[in-house]
Amino acid sequence: MNSKLSYVWPPILVATLFLGAWQLLVVIQEIKPFLLPAPSLIASEFSNGATLMWGAAVYTGTTAFLGLLFGTVAGLFMALLAQRFITVDKLVTPLAAGLATVPIIALTPILNNMFNITSRTPRVLVTTIIVLFPIFVNVMRGLLQVNPVQLELMRSLNAAPRTTLRVLRIPNAIPFFFTGLKIAAPLAVIAALVAEYFGGPQEGLGSRIASAAANTAYGRAWAYVLAAIITGLIFYLTIIAIERLVTPRSAPALAKS
Amino acid sequence: MSSTRDRISKGTLSLLWVFAGIALIAIMWELTKVLGTLIDLPFNTSDQAMPHIWTMFAAFPLPEVRGSDTTVFEAVLAATTSSLMLALGGFVIGVTVGLLLAVVMQRFLFFERGLLPFVIASQTVPLIALAPLIVGIGNQISFGPIQWSTTYSVMFIAAYLAFFPLSIGALRGLQAPTPTSLELMRSYAATNNKVLWKLRFPASIPYLVPALKVSAAASVVGTVVAEISTGVRGGIGRLMVEYARETTSQPAKVYVAVFGAIALGLVVAAAIAAVDALMTRNFPKKGIV
Amino acid sequence: MTMIHDKVQNTGSALAISGVSKVFNKGNDNEVVALSDVNLDVHTGEFISLIGPSGCGKSTLLRVIGDLTGFDSGTVQVSGKTPEDARKERLYGIAFQQAALFDWRSVSKNIELPLELAGWDKSARETRSAELLDMVQLSDFGTHRPWELSGGMQQRVAIARSLAVDPPLLLMDEPFGALDEMTRERMQNELLRIRLETGKTIVFVTHSIPEAVYLSDRVVVMSPRPGRITAEISVNLGDRTEITRESDNFFHSVTAVREALRLHDTSGSGVSSHRGEI
Repeated sequence: MNSKLSYVWPPILVATLFLGAWQLLVVIQEIKPFLLPAPSLIASEFSNGATLMWGAAVYTGTTAFLGLLFGTVAGLFMALLAQRFITVDKLVTPLAAGLATVPIIALTPILNNMFNITSRTPRVLVTTIIVLFPIFVNVMRGLLQVNPVQLELMRSLNAAPRTTLRVLRIPNAIPFFFTGLKIAAPLAVIAALVAEYFGGPQEGLGSRIASAAANTAYGRAWAYVLAAIITGLIFYLTIIAIERLVTPRSAPALAKS
Repeated sequence: MSSTRDRISKGTLSLLWVFAGIALIAIMWELTKVLGTLIDLPFNTSDQAMPHIWTMFAAFPLPEVRGSDTTVFEAVLAATTSSLMLALGGFVIGVTVGLLLAVVMQRFLFFERGLLPFVIASQTVPLIALAPLIVGIGNQISFGPIQWSTTYSVMFIAAYLAFFPLSIGALRGLQAPTPTSLELMRSYAATNNKVLWKLRFPASIPYLVPALKVSAAASVVGTVVAEISTGVRGGIGRLMVEYARETTSQPAKVYVAVFGAIALGLVVAAAIAAVDALMTRNFPKKGIV
Repeated sequence: MTMIHDKVQNTGSALAISGVSKVFNKGNDNEVVALSDVNLDVHTGEFISLIGPSGCGKSTLLRVIGDLTGFDSGTVQVSGKTPEDARKERLYGIAFQQAALFDWRSVSKNIELPLELAGWDKSARETRSAELLDMVQLSDFGTHRPWELSGGMQQRVAIARSLAVDPPLLLMDEPFGALDEMTRERMQNELLRIRLETGKTIVFVTHSIPEAVYLSDRVVVMSPRPGRITAEISVNLGDRTEITRESDNFFHSVTAVREALRLHDTSGSGVSSHRGEI
């Protein structure tokens, strides 16, 4: 227990010092809320507007969840295809690498035109595309980065490619898959949030933050940001929980993110 | 050693495949439009919502605004360059901060345990969502005669997004040397500084390079999205939003702007690939890290 | 092969180890007595091997000498100084089982590493590293990268590096352990040749009985739980030649070491012979 404690107290200490310094700074310097609201103000706004925030969080969270779901399925499917057919791999992998630096969220206005802007669809679609890439890249890595000796073993057992896939590659890819999910989940929340800046229904966290900021209600804006952070954390922690359930705590993680 | 030549030919081949992929997307685009005329698709395939590819390219030489001297192409090019500069600035700042953090965290265990959770947690903060707030705060700040402008806010956001992957990657790299190498340095009575410069930094390069790639991507995306959510003038983000409003009259313009954003991303990707080739030329070719 | 004794002086104390103990995880459930009341004297120019099963403390003892780990009681004198002073004054060079060469440096620059840290200027470093490459017969490989060399060649570079500042003492922790048998024998001859040319004192940790006997003036046998020295066996084989390994004398010395090891073998595998120490 001693060693576990030594991991816990430093971040708690740093957090307490940071929040304390923030509160002190605002009070002593008499900083106006529109410049930097005190933690106490944010906390009160948060508790006051809790029901509204919950609603907004659920809205954005649903978009994020749908995008995460479809993006994961699509990414998995593409990775399996690309592992099986080299042409697909050659087409998609360089594209994925090249598009990593491209702001995919920029597709939102185009999708808003193609699909109904008043529906959730364009936002879910853009989130799906954004989620697809980290899932694809990491699962590919997991399917391909197999120990050559294990491949030789499968060959010596006269295993068909499909069997090797089922028995060796896919289990090998599971830690890599979770690495990708851990990247994609917070990304989905952010994408769903930012997509709301391009117009459409204004019920989500992104729209609320923007409108609070526009109305200079900065305490409220920060409270919504806090809600967004919590939503992102919930997504991330859920993935970790699922990972703990699915993978036994035996071999050390082979995947490097 | 023909490794450099091999790398160049491999790179060119990948580039060709990228073009093939893009061509495939263009073909699928047009086919979808054709399909839309035949059956009822759940989305709009009209020329207004989905202009033909050639219409998009035809928009390049058109005047940006009726009667203006600048063509659409020129306007997009200028905006893309401006965003590139901001992304670069944010990248440099983020990388510097990230490296400094990594060095501190490697040297002092207290800082690694105290700071690392927050460095990781900072990823869950949707700073891009904070962009309007950052701009609001920024506009109130002034350092004497220097007034903070929205441009700085955008750069700050890009730097914030860039520093995390780099500090994680750099920390991992700085901690990479084997116990044997560390014992060796101890046998030479090397100071911590010497160990840092002669062993840890060079050993961290294979870890730094993938992190640099992620950081570069983050600062480009961060810059563009921050521009979108803050309406900063001069960048490609705002241009995209502006042109998106004109889809009824000139539907192709927004696509030119999107091409600009994509080109921005690709230019940065190519630059990072060059840096990668340069920095890892002294290392044995390893598998995918 | 004739012996040139000029540089090999049999006077002076290179190492004086007295009553040294070291305990890991003291007071916990997994407390391990790595070294218990170890006494060892090594003269200048001697070649000593430390041999014993896993956990006997041979590598720990080597690291105590090199100030790479501390010790709990007793005294250690390296050329009359504490291990810490000896390390800071660069009185020893070290080679490990892994060559631990830096991938981003050329072979020459790897050898120059200790010289850089000792503050030598550029031209002095380059001259010295060329000298050392010559000594290990790798002069053509100075600009190569470590990964381009075979395991045996990498170890030769590591040995050259350990000689860089010309220290009086060499510490070696199973440097040939990862090599195949033929390369191993070649490297052993290399090491003996270098020893003749330079007259260094060498403390050599190994798992291999023939290796220990072939290389050493004295084989120090150690035993685990607690880690301690249980026998010191002098080896009198004279000049090493191609047929030394096949000679009767060699066999007798190897047998002596083997018996000494078996005497304190607590793993329960062999029948322990009570012929006593030689």
